[in-house]
Amino acid sequence: MDIYNHLSSDFTSILITLKLAVVTCFFLALIGTPLAYFLAFKSKKTKPFIEAIVTLPLVLPPTVIGFYLIVFFNPETPLGKIFILLTGEQLIFSFYGLVLASIIYSIPFWVQPLQASFEKIGRDTIRTSYSLGVGPLVTFLHVIMPLCKKGFLTSFIISFAHTLGEFGIVLMVGGGIHGKTKVIAISIYDHVEQLSFGKAHILAGGMLILSFIILLTLFYFNKTTVVRIK
Amino acid sequence: MSNLSVFLKGKIGNLFLNFEHYFKNNGITILYGPNGSGKSTIISALGGFINSIETRIIFNGNELHDTNKHPPNKRPFGIMFQNPILFEHLSVEENLDFVIKKNQIKNQNKSSISKEYLIKHLELNSLLNRSPENLSGGEKLRVVLARTILKQPKYLLLDEPMSDLDIKYKAKLLVFLKNFNKKFKIPILYITHSIEEISQIGDQIVLIKDGKKIANGSVSDILNTNSFGDLTGKFELSSVLDGIVISKDHNLHITTLDLDGQKLIVPGLPGNFNNVVRVRIRSRDILLSLSPLETKITENELEGLISTIEIENNSAFSELVILLKNLKKNKNIQKLRARITTYNLKKMNLSRNDTVFIYISSVSIDRQAYQSM
Repeated sequence: MDIYNHLSSDFTSILITLKLAVVTCFFLALIGTPLAYFLAFKSKKTKPFIEAIVTLPLVLPPTVIGFYLIVFFNPETPLGKIFILLTGEQLIFSFYGLVLASIIYSIPFWVQPLQASFEKIGRDTIRTSYSLGVGPLVTFLHVIMPLCKKGFLTSFIISFAHTLGEFGIVLMVGGGIHGKTKVIAISIYDHVEQLSFGKAHILAGGMLILSFIILLTLFYFNKTTVVRIK
Repeated sequence: MSNLSVFLKGKIGNLFLNFEHYFKNNGITILYGPNGSGKSTIISALGGFINSIETRIIFNGNELHDTNKHPPNKRPFGIMFQNPILFEHLSVEENLDFVIKKNQIKNQNKSSISKEYLIKHLELNSLLNRSPENLSGGEKLRVVLARTILKQPKYLLLDEPMSDLDIKYKAKLLVFLKNFNKKFKIPILYITHSIEEISQIGDQIVLIKDGKKIANGSVSDILNTNSFGDLTGKFELSSVLDGIVISKDHNLHITTLDLDGQKLIVPGLPGNFNNVVRVRIRSRDILLSLSPLETKITENELEGLISTIEIENNSAFSELVILLKNLKKNKNIQKLRARITTYNLKKMNLSRNDTVFIYISSVSIDRQAYQSM
């Protein structure tokens, strides 16, 4: 019974982790894609500034991001009120708080490969399409998207994998509440803390294999694309 | 008759563009000038890709310059950019169909140019199922040209389309463009650096330097002017002469042209009997004599009258403009430009209104520059 409970508890963390990764990637596609497009083609003077902001989460400790999220999305602040209005919950210790944190934490992983891919097909391709009488939306859907298939795949896979591996920021914002905000990484931490190495092995080994398969898929399909993120 | 009025003024990069021209013909207009003089910028501006400078574009009575009201995808031009691009996720045929589908071009419209016409005349049949990645430069160019025309443009803008093409392909494509232009009455603006291409397909020419128009007119008028010489260097100055094919020798591969009663023998077999063929003769390839030579050094002896003499400062050379004698008594006077040393000019004591005999070696006549009209 005890074992069953533990298994189901770990199973819940796995489900939460996957749900978090899927929802985060969905929002990254909505926010990160136009941002990558803007950086690749539209911005001129503002480009270094925006690029620096987008890349910040790569270098900042997750705790710094977590700290500011908690500060700015405090229910007392206007942003906190908007967050409650949208999600029905306050940011801290909620699933959507985790999502918001993950989006911010993973945004460079979505934007950079896609931006590189957009830049590779170049302005000339877009100009050509426009000059052939094709409007911006159709050009994006029928020219840019198919040509940047690999860029989208790369962005998706590494953002997904990166979200699976978050620890610091999800602990800080989510608090590791079982059944709500406790993801695999935190479960492993808890198991190790309780010296349950056997259970930690199952989850850690699972993560290792899953991450390896994900990256193998990426590099298999993307033999020629250089992933810019180190 | 289509008319396109263009006015562009402003700074783009290092170039200050101040260009104004009224394109008023259905033929082929050449835009010629040194690198960085603004030729490609003019095409970009027409396409609606530049909104940082003062622009006025009026095409057949419609104002097009507002890039919000007339974004690039809603302009009546067909543009071939300098580095033509095919969509690599589509096959050659899908690239062509893409334009037809997205522009909802109906085949039953009789005035439209059909895919079949282009496949036939640009020899695309064997390429249709191939991927753009595996095409040679010349093949890619033909597909891009076909795709550009399939949009059914009202004006075709071509930016150095043949710059990296071998001579054999080039000649074929130039013939295609000339025929296309005549058949469908779609005017073409054509950027090139090649004097051969200018004399082969150009009707009108606009010279541009440092963002400003410096001369314009018909190709035969402009090609032997000083403003053209300033752009190309005097070494390349040449004249364009029109002659009618009166006989052909298929064994010796030569053609005899009638230039208003005088005869000119040219190598190769351009045009058909009674066709007008245009040839380019470089000024430096001409020899002059005040009396006809007794021992002929070449069959090509023409008679003419010196109309102007320009002695260049700080140079060994002088430029002469000679009016060819018209034996047919029609009013047509063809001009020939000759470049000789000033030493020679003084020694022969040539002056204005002298009758001269002109000798041109057939070998020196530019074989790439024939144009049948």
